[in-house]
Amino acid sequence: MPTIRVPLSWLREYVEAHGSAEEIGRGLHMSGTEVDRIERPGGGWDHVWVGRIAALEKHPNADKLQLVTVEYGEGRTKTVVTGAPNIRAGDVVPYAEVGARLRDAGTGAPGREAHGDGWLTLEPKKVRGIMSEGMVCSERELGLGDDHDGILILDQGLAVGQPLADALGDPVLVLELQPNRPDCMGVVGVAREVAAVQRVALREPKVAKLRYQLDRALLDVRIEDPEACPRFGAAYLENVTIGPSPKWMQQRLTAAGMRPIHNAVDITNYVMLELGQPLHAYDADRLRGHALVARRARSGESLRTLDGVERILSPDLLVIADDERSLGIAGILGGQDSEIRPTTTKIALECASFEPRGIDRTAAKLGLSQQSAASARFRLALSPELVPLAVARAAQLLVEHADARIVGAVDVYPSPRPRPNVRLRFSDILRVLGVEIPREESLDALSRLGFQYAESGDTLVVTPPAIRTDIGIAEDIVEEVARIVGYDRIPVLIPDGQLPLQERHPLEALREQVRDHLVGFGLQETVSYSLIDPAWLGRLSADGSPIAPAPIRVQNPTSISQSVARPTLRASLLDTAARNLRHRDGVAIFEISPVYLPRAGDLPEERWTIAVLVAGRAKEQTWLTQPRDWDRWDVKGLLAAMARSINAGTFSGPSGPAAGMHPGSSSTRLHDGRPALMIGQLDPRVAARWGVPTETFIGEVDLASLLAVVQPHVAKLPPKYPAALREVAFVVDEAVTYGAVRDDVTGAAKDLLESLTLLDVYRGPQVGVGKKSFALRLVLRSRTGTLTDADVEKVVSRIEGRVLHKLGGTIRG
Amino acid sequence: MDWRAETQALREQALPEIATDDHLLALDERRVRWLGRNGLITKLLRSIVSAPDAERREFGAAANALKAEVEAALEHQIAKVKAAAPDSRLTEQDDLTLPGRPVRLGRMHPISRTIREISRIFLSMGFEAVEGPEIEWDYYNFEALNIPKGHPARDKFNTLWASNPLGDDPSRPMLFRTHTSPMQIRIMEQRKPPIRVIVPGRCYRFEATDATHESVFFQYEGLAIDEKLSMADLKGVLYSFARQLFGGERKVRFRPDYFPFTEPSAEIAFDCFVCDGSGQKDGGRCPTCWGSGWIEAAGCGMVHPDALRRVGYDPDKYQGFAFGGGVDRLAGLLTGTPDIRLFHQNDLRYLESV
Repeated sequence: MPTIRVPLSWLREYVEAHGSAEEIGRGLHMSGTEVDRIERPGGGWDHVWVGRIAALEKHPNADKLQLVTVEYGEGRTKTVVTGAPNIRAGDVVPYAEVGARLRDAGTGAPGREAHGDGWLTLEPKKVRGIMSEGMVCSERELGLGDDHDGILILDQGLAVGQPLADALGDPVLVLELQPNRPDCMGVVGVAREVAAVQRVALREPKVAKLRYQLDRALLDVRIEDPEACPRFGAAYLENVTIGPSPKWMQQRLTAAGMRPIHNAVDITNYVMLELGQPLHAYDADRLRGHALVARRARSGESLRTLDGVERILSPDLLVIADDERSLGIAGILGGQDSEIRPTTTKIALECASFEPRGIDRTAAKLGLSQQSAASARFRLALSPELVPLAVARAAQLLVEHADARIVGAVDVYPSPRPRPNVRLRFSDILRVLGVEIPREESLDALSRLGFQYAESGDTLVVTPPAIRTDIGIAEDIVEEVARIVGYDRIPVLIPDGQLPLQERHPLEALREQVRDHLVGFGLQETVSYSLIDPAWLGRLSADGSPIAPAPIRVQNPTSISQSVARPTLRASLLDTAARNLRHRDGVAIFEISPVYLPRAGDLPEERWTIAVLVAGRAKEQTWLTQPRDWDRWDVKGLLAAMARSINAGTFSGPSGPAAGMHPGSSSTRLHDGRPALMIGQLDPRVAARWGVPTETFIGEVDLASLLAVVQPHVAKLPPKYPAALREVAFVVDEAVTYGAVRDDVTGAAKDLLESLTLLDVYRGPQVGVGKKSFALRLVLRSRTGTLTDADVEKVVSRIEGRVLHKLGGTIRG
Repeated sequence: MDWRAETQALREQALPEIATDDHLLALDERRVRWLGRNGLITKLLRSIVSAPDAERREFGAAANALKAEVEAALEHQIAKVKAAAPDSRLTEQDDLTLPGRPVRLGRMHPISRTIREISRIFLSMGFEAVEGPEIEWDYYNFEALNIPKGHPARDKFNTLWASNPLGDDPSRPMLFRTHTSPMQIRIMEQRKPPIRVIVPGRCYRFEATDATHESVFFQYEGLAIDEKLSMADLKGVLYSFARQLFGGERKVRFRPDYFPFTEPSAEIAFDCFVCDGSGQKDGGRCPTCWGSGWIEAAGCGMVHPDALRRVGYDPDKYQGFAFGGGVDRLAGLLTGTPDIRLFHQNDLRYLESV
């Protein structure tokens, strides 16, 4: 947002504002002009006093240095060493004691913000063997101006021993303006706001109208591209004497953040800061053909700009030119050739209105990210009405402070912009604000802001002041009224009326349930950056091949570490785990977030994913528990419990190997053709790359697939008949999976199997080499009656038969 | 012996005997001795039949009274002995200062918790939580919100631009949404008034990070459209929100602000819940509101008629308000987290503390 600095004394020139800087600032802030801060020059001048030089003697060890004894009230004196030549005993000077914070005169840019650098804090320091306690200060060190040739000599009448801020301090309101209010880019515009808020008179600077008559032979002003430059004003002055501008003007420029140069440039800057409208002064003798033209640059034309760069121009850039060459890039950057010099005697003042978008485009094209004071204003919708005003004001100041004589002026404005009339009803104010503002009060607020109006019954036709370019609809007028009477007038109501029907979003509801359950299982939720380092993706598999689609890229990343939109959560979890495992023995974390999967010709799919990671120590040793580490069965158990907690069924698709995971201990499963579930141990080679334990376990679930298999809850009534319990053990070949056995058991038991528990997996001498045994507990129950021993035997032998027949197992006695 | 004397003698013998027994087994034996099949009182009762006719009634009454007395004495003594005896189930003495069996505690991330809380509060006011894409078209993020290309308000939104590996369409720039406001347009395109929605979600800015700024952060967006909603209703909704979130008699301060897609626009601040709006805390500047007494929370305003027209609503019939604020800032306030970068660093030592 555009920032401007408004010295309070300057503001008070145009408005009889009452109250302190803080009170004026509060009034501005609450009416919509944001006050970022109120600065005192020199950052407050703590520990800086009005002092008097009591004695002055030569430094015993250095010819060019002097010892100064400063008194600063209440009998306090200090000795400081200085090299400044311009002081005499009895002079009143600024004295900064140890601890004061001053501009570093070497690097400090006076009046500008320079947090950190450009500042120094005074410490006691030995200079050539003599202890110097503090400093007597130059203008630059105090941030008052650019002068660093000597110590600032103060008025003899100032009371010695008072804080310098009380004697000289002029607070500066630092305002953050909204881009729709270019009218406040000048002190007068801000004064207009203060006048309206405080109900006091506005005193605009008195500017004599110029005579718009000028011999074309002296200055020929033309617009070749009226769309890009709707208005072009100029004045021609002669008999100019270039020299320093008056002290007061230099101080105001410095306080407002600009560096004084000489009277001609200072005056154009002063008028820009005062009215908001930038203008430019040319040495009229150097304008070839005595012309000033707003035109497109010619192809291949070049220009050495004020920053010393030789720039090749192109026809999409607007330039200000004379008859032969470009003088500057319109609204952005001047050229070196037409600069005012100490010998200049004739000045052509140029002041134009530019199409703001063109300014931005040009700045972007030239790669100028830094805005100048002028371009910061031109890129906003400045009112063309400011052009003649600024020309006249600058001409007047050149007469007063550069001995100039006005020869004449021109104002080229081929198609004057009509001022808008906004029609509204008084009832619109109630309609929008929800409170009735009395008619007289509303009209008073508008007229204090310089709006004109005509009433007719309930209808009001309002004409904004010419400098306001942000007003176009009834709501704009309502806002003007509201901000001047105060937003506090808007009451607090609870809305009534019809409530919309609410929809339930199943995916979001499920996501929140899952979040709750995972937290309940003891996992810590993490939220990591959704923008990641693309190098991370290459580290997710042993050979660097991608485990996820090529990601959406950030065209202009803040850093490489946040330059792609993550297509997987795995890298983020691994990074989090690795960083935490530096200071702890185990992690159990999860994240629920979208991953971004590119689609041709469309926005990426934002696929909500649940990812769980456990690694390292699961349980610490206590007097009750043995220590143990997380293992693969934990992550499987966690995901199974999660599925059970939301009543999810199983994914229908085939399973297969998981990329980037341990080939013997991981799998993925599809559902409706899309990856739904991944679970297993991280590939140990990948684990090593991330610095996480070899045994790191990860689960990833696609939330939409999960939603697809969620079953409605069916209430299960407590059983009426007793259960029968049997334990069996099957010995099968090592290649036979538990899943195969389980499926056979459940298939053979039909609906009599209530639950199946795997009690033990045994390998060893009792079952022989290449074999293993599964010990199972079956709970059998019928819904229609009590199972007899014979019934149970029948089922068990059917189960045994199936396993023996299909899997080639044996029953272990 | 006279039955009278005999009865009295038995009484005088039985009752003191019973009263001295201090063991249940002894009392069992005592019961047998007096009331058993061959017990002394049983024998006495049997002798009633052999008493003279005239005295039989009186004797019977006296003997039965004695039996009752002894029974009562036995019951009483049994109860007394039982009460005095220690119950083996209660004898154990634990050291209750020993730590319990550890339970693993999981926690929700402060951002998730805050989003859930925000949604819950607005849900109670009839707002429905919806979500939208984080990677968005320029149209929804800017154009449809009255921020065309080149508009100086784009300066407020330092944008991260997105590039699709499957090919970009220069006429349709894609970006990482800089705010949740594009959902205002998407919602209005999809629905008809009345509308009340709240949209939490992740947003992005090209921004140097510090304690209060992040390049990836979360916002919540509110939108309400109906026939008569005014800024006063907006104030009411946010007032209620602040009180529910921070408790107490929270005040809401509105000051004018500027957003191209609302008119009039405002900035919302809540009076500081730490210093109650005084700006002072423990004799110094309140660290939560930096001494201002106010916590700036969100931007808001009445939905711009151009935005309504763009989605086909008649601005003469419908109007409403929108607001948007930072989740991270609220989460920071609610958890006492001074630096919002902690939210994305996922240092478990921090996360386990909030």
